[in-house]
Amino acid sequence: MHSLHWTSRMISRALRSSFSTLLESATGAGAASKVGEGALKSASPRPHFVSVVCGFAKDNLRHKYKPGKYGEDSWFKASTEQADVMGVADGVGGWRSYGIDPGEFSSFLMRTCERLVQCSHFNPQRPVNLLAYSYCELMEQKKPILGSSTACVLILNRETKTVHTANIGDSGFMVVRQGEVVHKSEEQQHYFNTPFQLSLPPPGHGPNVLSDSPESADTMSFPVEDGDVILIATDGVFDNVPEALLLDVLRDVEGERDSVKLQMTANTLALMARTLSLNSEFLSPFALSARRNNIQARGGKPDDITVVLATVAM
Amino acid sequence: MSLLALAQASTSASASTSSSSDTELDAQVDFSTMLMHRQREYSGWFGCGTKMQPEPTDQGYYLEQYVLGVLDFSSQYGIEYSISYTAANVVGRPSKFPAYGDYPETFTMRTYGDWWQRAPSATQEIQPQNLPKLATHDYIVVYFEDYVVPTEVAIFETFNPGAVIRIWAYGLTKHWTCLWEALDTDLAPTSRNSRRFAPPLLKTTMITKTLRIDFNHSQLNYYTEIDAIMLCGRTVSGRLIQSILEEQARVYKSHSPLSKMGTGGPISCKLRTLKFKPNCREKNDTSLHEFISNDLGKFLLDNRQEDQLDTPACGMCVTDLPFEILLKILSYLDLQSLFSVGRVSRTFYDISTHPLLYAELNLKPYWPVASSELLCTLARRATMLRKLDLSWCGGFNEISPTEFKKFLTQRGDNLTHLRLNSCKFLNASCIENVGIVCDNLIGMSAIPIVQSFFFNLLLLSELSLRNCATDPPLLNFSCLANLKNLERLDLFQTAFDTELLLSMLEGNRKLKHLNLAFCGVSVNMDDVADHLATYNTQLISLDLWKAHFLSARGLLAISRCRQLEELDLGWCLREASLGDGLFQLLSNCPKLRKLFLSAVRGTTERDLLHIATLGKNLEQLDLMGILNITHERVFDILVHCPKLQLLDLSFCDNIMERDFDLLAEWSRQFKVDIKSSRIFDTR
Repeated sequence: MHSLHWTSRMISRALRSSFSTLLESATGAGAASKVGEGALKSASPRPHFVSVVCGFAKDNLRHKYKPGKYGEDSWFKASTEQADVMGVADGVGGWRSYGIDPGEFSSFLMRTCERLVQCSHFNPQRPVNLLAYSYCELMEQKKPILGSSTACVLILNRETKTVHTANIGDSGFMVVRQGEVVHKSEEQQHYFNTPFQLSLPPPGHGPNVLSDSPESADTMSFPVEDGDVILIATDGVFDNVPEALLLDVLRDVEGERDSVKLQMTANTLALMARTLSLNSEFLSPFALSARRNNIQARGGKPDDITVVLATVAM
Repeated sequence: MSLLALAQASTSASASTSSSSDTELDAQVDFSTMLMHRQREYSGWFGCGTKMQPEPTDQGYYLEQYVLGVLDFSSQYGIEYSISYTAANVVGRPSKFPAYGDYPETFTMRTYGDWWQRAPSATQEIQPQNLPKLATHDYIVVYFEDYVVPTEVAIFETFNPGAVIRIWAYGLTKHWTCLWEALDTDLAPTSRNSRRFAPPLLKTTMITKTLRIDFNHSQLNYYTEIDAIMLCGRTVSGRLIQSILEEQARVYKSHSPLSKMGTGGPISCKLRTLKFKPNCREKNDTSLHEFISNDLGKFLLDNRQEDQLDTPACGMCVTDLPFEILLKILSYLDLQSLFSVGRVSRTFYDISTHPLLYAELNLKPYWPVASSELLCTLARRATMLRKLDLSWCGGFNEISPTEFKKFLTQRGDNLTHLRLNSCKFLNASCIENVGIVCDNLIGMSAIPIVQSFFFNLLLLSELSLRNCATDPPLLNFSCLANLKNLERLDLFQTAFDTELLLSMLEGNRKLKHLNLAFCGVSVNMDDVADHLATYNTQLISLDLWKAHFLSARGLLAISRCRQLEELDLGWCLREASLGDGLFQLLSNCPKLRKLFLSAVRGTTERDLLHIATLGKNLEQLDLMGILNITHERVFDILVHCPKLQLLDLSFCDNIMERDFDLLAEWSRQFKVDIKSSRIFDTR
């Protein structure tokens, strides 16, 4: 975590120096300050995320562990001088029956978001733009990438200490402060179990496929305080773990800056979600909402689980 | 791709305007002298003059740095706003190296091999004798964070290495030095492995943080891809840099009052500006001249050998030949040699400055030294200018727009070919000029040139303005609408107004070659296609690379241009179904020789059948990334298209791994170069 932060600072420092300051950078002091400045920066308080990730693929046997993915889910974390960015994406599983790997789309979306964050035209206040650009990049790939996925992206703007979010579909986030949920994303669904999704259908099947544009994302912006806990997860968590239980776990970790302890909590959450999803008796949130839609369901919903847990440190 | 605005831009601008004002008293710039003294200037900073000597304590340290940003490039595979296969990927650390493959996180250029030279839209180089043996096809200019004295430049190539031919560095003294140049043998295709290419550099003491890499694609099998560029060297102290820059500023400042002085001839004026130049040159010139005119005869007589054959009195000498023959001989010389010849004697000077030798001017190979003064000198000689190529010149404010405008106003009346690719000095008023001056233009490639330029160019038949993608678009062509004789128009990666393009299409009925690559974002290609079908039916080649929003309607319109021999529809139409478009195209245009359908994902199997049955004259076919291709369709195409030379089947995911051997076999059997995604094939 710290090494990532350091590297990103080096890169961002390099990006910042401009041509007209050549004299400054050319002086011997410039070289020495590379080291000194880095140390200085870590001492000064700057809002940042302390974040960890955990998850399980639905089908542990089929999916070998690959960094950045949990089965068909995918996530990313990135950092620049101005912002900290996190996101998750959940590939829609229905594509498997068409011979398309559902995880490819979500993985590509997240990897591209990660690269786009480092670009000069990254706007730390518009996560929708990030999703839109990432979606456009899909069409510039030589290798045809097909499929669809939901997405949820969160950006912490250091200067204004606000968090901007964009959510499409049924992944989401939750912000906990002083033992209470202060912000939560809404699930976007067309029908039951059919969330909003970004998609790239195979040629010729365009009109038959549900495809939402990045503009249809739900956006929210809110200020954050030191110690806030932010949880971004795919529907594997929110559909299996009741909110009260989530709140219980999250309020314990408020203000935590030790990433090891944070990792332990994330692991707990993921394990909880996994256990509950495989339980066939338990009345999960998924089962409850199914019943509201006149579908007799019981037990958890087996699904990929991705948990990105972060606390705001200032 | 924005022009680098140096701090000294203001001083250099003032210097150039003053130098262009006086035409006669201005030091008549001698091309080769310019090259020579520049060589001396930048290598001499530590040689002569004690004040430039670095202190032993200022040694600096060894620094390796990756690219901080890209200043300019001549072409890229991806579209501007993308981060896939574009020049922006060269920035920072390598992301894929040492992996080998076709990755979107790298910098890829638009062309490879000699396929574009074999296509119907290939252009001839103007004044080809100016080109070096290994001509540059593409380049990229990058900058780093810190100034160093370069000791190593490493280029990380992750796909098809072997295209780099030259490495240039831009020093503090504002001159380009070639740090390394490839020999013919270096260009042989290397093994299919990624490599860290770090050729031995020229030993130099120059200080730089800007590099330019030149590429030549002729030996490449497929696209080459660059992941990163690293510059290693010793840093220098800030004090040294500051003193050098101050020296530069002083030299520039002294330029302006000089031209007004008027004492002494052009040579002594020039000498006054060069403070560190030893003064002995002038004496050498005069004494040599005296010797030749007075003492040579006596000298030879004194040292006469026994055999009579050495007497200078008898025998023909070169200057006895008729004037036209001498002119013909000199016409084979490149521009640099022509200037050198002019210094031999008065006779040779008269011959070498004859306007017929300057009917075609190509300053592209001389981009490091092309300057306003050079243009000024050439303007005096090139009274019969028909073809002009100023591509790649003026990158760092060396040529001023006003000077160019003057040049074009004076000499543009008879221009038939004008190429201004990647010219950074072009601004809106320049394009004005072209429209006014160059009515003769048959072929035009423009980079935002001042409108006024185009006004006189009434005979223009070729206009090439590649890489003029500035915002707001410079090309607001109302003067370009005057051009009525265009046969070739190249607007690769240029931003322009749709209305203007449409009016130009209406006006130029003889248009044969049109390149609108990367223009699809701002321009409605369907409208363009409709106009082409209505007004430009003589169209032979059309390039609509990455025109994402072209629809099936546009394709149908294009199919009405029955003379088409080349059509590049790469990345057009997206997933939209082609409908009847391809069938119509192939039926109506039997002469079609080159058809690129890269990533036109809506291509169906029926379309491929049509290609096989109707594409009798096809020589180059690109079907990259199309999903519906199976190896049976490939076989159909190979059997029915006897003239096929190139078939690109990369990323056609429906062709199975096991079929690649079959493809290799067919490639040999039908003598077609088949590109596929298998990396380790034997081809």
